[in-house]
Amino acid sequence: MNNLSIKNKLYISFGSIVAIILILLILAYNNFTRLTEANGWDKHTMEVLIELDRINNASLQIQVDARGYILTGNETFIASERDNAELLKQHVARSVQLTADNPQQNERLKRAQALLTTWADVNIRRQIEKRRALGDTKGAADTLGQSSELKEAAAVVGAARDLIDQAGDEERRLLADRGAKAVDLHSSQNNLMIGGGVVVIVLSVLIAYALARAILNPLSNLTAGLSRLGGGEQSARIEVTSGDELGKVSEDFNRMAAQLQTATKRELDQTNELRDKVDALMEVVSRGAAGDLTGKITVSGDDAIGKLGDGLQRMFDNLRSLLTNVQKAGIQVTTSATEIAASAKQQEATGVEQAQTSVEVLSTTKEISSNTSQLLKTMEEATAVADYTTSATSDAQGNLRRMDATMQNMVNATDSINAKLAALSEKASNINSVLTTITKVADQTNILSLNAAIEAEKAGEAGRGFSVVATEIRRLADQTSVSTWDIEQMLKEMQSAVSASVMGMDKFSEEIRRSVGEVRQVTDQLSGVMDQVQKLAPQFDAVLQGMQAQAVGAQQITETMMQLNDATQQTVESLKATSEAVHQLQYAAGDLQSSVATFAVNA
Amino acid sequence: MKVLVFHIGADRYGLPLRQVQRVLPLVELKGIPLAPDSVAGLLNLHGEPVPVIDLARISGGAPSRQHFDTRIVVVDYSAPGGARHTLGLIAERVQGVQDVEQQGLAPSGVQAAPFLGAVTGDAHGMVQLVEVNALLPDELRARLFPEETATQ
Repeated sequence: MNNLSIKNKLYISFGSIVAIILILLILAYNNFTRLTEANGWDKHTMEVLIELDRINNASLQIQVDARGYILTGNETFIASERDNAELLKQHVARSVQLTADNPQQNERLKRAQALLTTWADVNIRRQIEKRRALGDTKGAADTLGQSSELKEAAAVVGAARDLIDQAGDEERRLLADRGAKAVDLHSSQNNLMIGGGVVVIVLSVLIAYALARAILNPLSNLTAGLSRLGGGEQSARIEVTSGDELGKVSEDFNRMAAQLQTATKRELDQTNELRDKVDALMEVVSRGAAGDLTGKITVSGDDAIGKLGDGLQRMFDNLRSLLTNVQKAGIQVTTSATEIAASAKQQEATGVEQAQTSVEVLSTTKEISSNTSQLLKTMEEATAVADYTTSATSDAQGNLRRMDATMQNMVNATDSINAKLAALSEKASNINSVLTTITKVADQTNILSLNAAIEAEKAGEAGRGFSVVATEIRRLADQTSVSTWDIEQMLKEMQSAVSASVMGMDKFSEEIRRSVGEVRQVTDQLSGVMDQVQKLAPQFDAVLQGMQAQAVGAQQITETMMQLNDATQQTVESLKATSEAVHQLQYAAGDLQSSVATFAVNA
Repeated sequence: MKVLVFHIGADRYGLPLRQVQRVLPLVELKGIPLAPDSVAGLLNLHGEPVPVIDLARISGGAPSRQHFDTRIVVVDYSAPGGARHTLGLIAERVQGVQDVEQQGLAPSGVQAAPFLGAVTGDAHGMVQLVEVNALLPDELRARLFPEETATQ
């Protein structure tokens, strides 16, 4: 809906209103037609009724005329009899024609038509003929009144009249029905007109409201956006809510506002850039005025500012290279002067050092002399100690030899103990075999005593005394067994003790053997020491002689060093003078450097 | 009555002395292949072969251990038919001869092995008498002394 154009919106809105009205009109026309039709049917019914009345009237007229003639015999009464009959027939035919749409009525009326035609053409004519035949005879009227013709005619016309009345009733009923239908149609027509009118009005109002909304809302948005933009708010944008012409206008407005904003921003950026460039130039130039030439001009280009920047940059570059050259020259002069001064100082220091070294050499030489005499004394003491060591070592050697002999004795004693222990062990084994024999004897004694007891029992009373002996023997055998067992246990303990002793003795003799070996080793070493100590004494003498020669040499060195010292002193004096001149050159170079240093040329 | 006291396991038993011929040390026996378990072997008694029964084995226990006081007791065995045989018995811990009062004997009251007889008590516990003649079951006796079975 939103994306439709305004033209289409208008077409749709008014078109829908017109369509609703058209529908209403068609419904109303339809109702109206049905009403008209009902009126036509009413009229038709009325015509039929009128025709029926006329039929009645005509038949009555014919009857009245016929009676009048019958009563009076006057021919005037029946003068118009044929005309009336014709009229009756016409009316009847007309009514039959009118009720052609209703078969029941039509049938009814056709029957009435037949009766009435018969009545008018046959019955009435017969009555008239009969009266005419009677003429002016007295009681003619009564005669005719009593005649069958009259009764027959009355019956025929009565039947016809009944049919006519029935038809009239039917028509009246139809009229009433149709009247009721017409009233219904009237009320429905009224309802349709009122209801339809209300619906049309409501729908029209709704459509008008929607249309106004669809057109007026974007328009007011657009107006508000325009007034905001006019008021200077460049970020003002309109919300595009529809795809119609107003939506397009809103989009164009948004694009225009965006372009306006971009243009303004670009202008501002350019102004800022120009100001930044001028500021940068100003900063570099003011730093240069203060003496700092390290500033780099970043502004360049084809415009006026760019050219100005390039010119300034060239100027600064020239100035910088000039100052750099001056600074370099100053630094070179200073460096050279410093180097000269340093070497002069070094030479001076070397001279002084030389002098000091000479003095040190002197004192060292003196020290050597005194040390040498001290050493001499020490060497004499050492010789004495060496002599003492020699005698002590030979004493120790003697002691060690005695110890060795003792050890040897111990080894022998241990061996003899071992032999004795072996003998002991052998004896114990002998005892063991004796014990085994004793055990066997005891066992056999035990059995013997048992058998003796058995034999005694078998001997009965005679063996009683023997039985006592047997019991005693058995007791002895048991005691022997117990004692033997005790001895066996003791023997076992003794044997284990002996074997432990043997092992201990073995270990002991092993220790002794090792000790003997060690003592011999110590003795050998002591002999070596003694030999060395005895060789020391002649070497000490040689050292003493060398030292005395050294003392003489030291004296000669002292004298030579005195002469060297004097020469060095003179060299130092001349170096001091050179140093002074170089100092003055250094000061001059320093002045030059400091005056150039106020310009900074390197970043 | 005097009995020879020995042990089966931890319990003391007594053999009536009048049926005991003699007591021998535990000597090497000749093995008898395919003999019943309770037969320990054959003993050579002065040239005569004597079957030896292990008392511990015939009582349903393990074989007798060979201690120094384990002995072979030679007894007189009277078969039910009246025949007399010499039989060797291996007994553990043969302690000696003990006097048992005849009136101190009491029936054990328990139906166990058929050769166990009356019991008596003393300071060291109870002693149960062993009936030598009831020692061998019929089947074993038939295998040990077949000639007797043949005569019957």
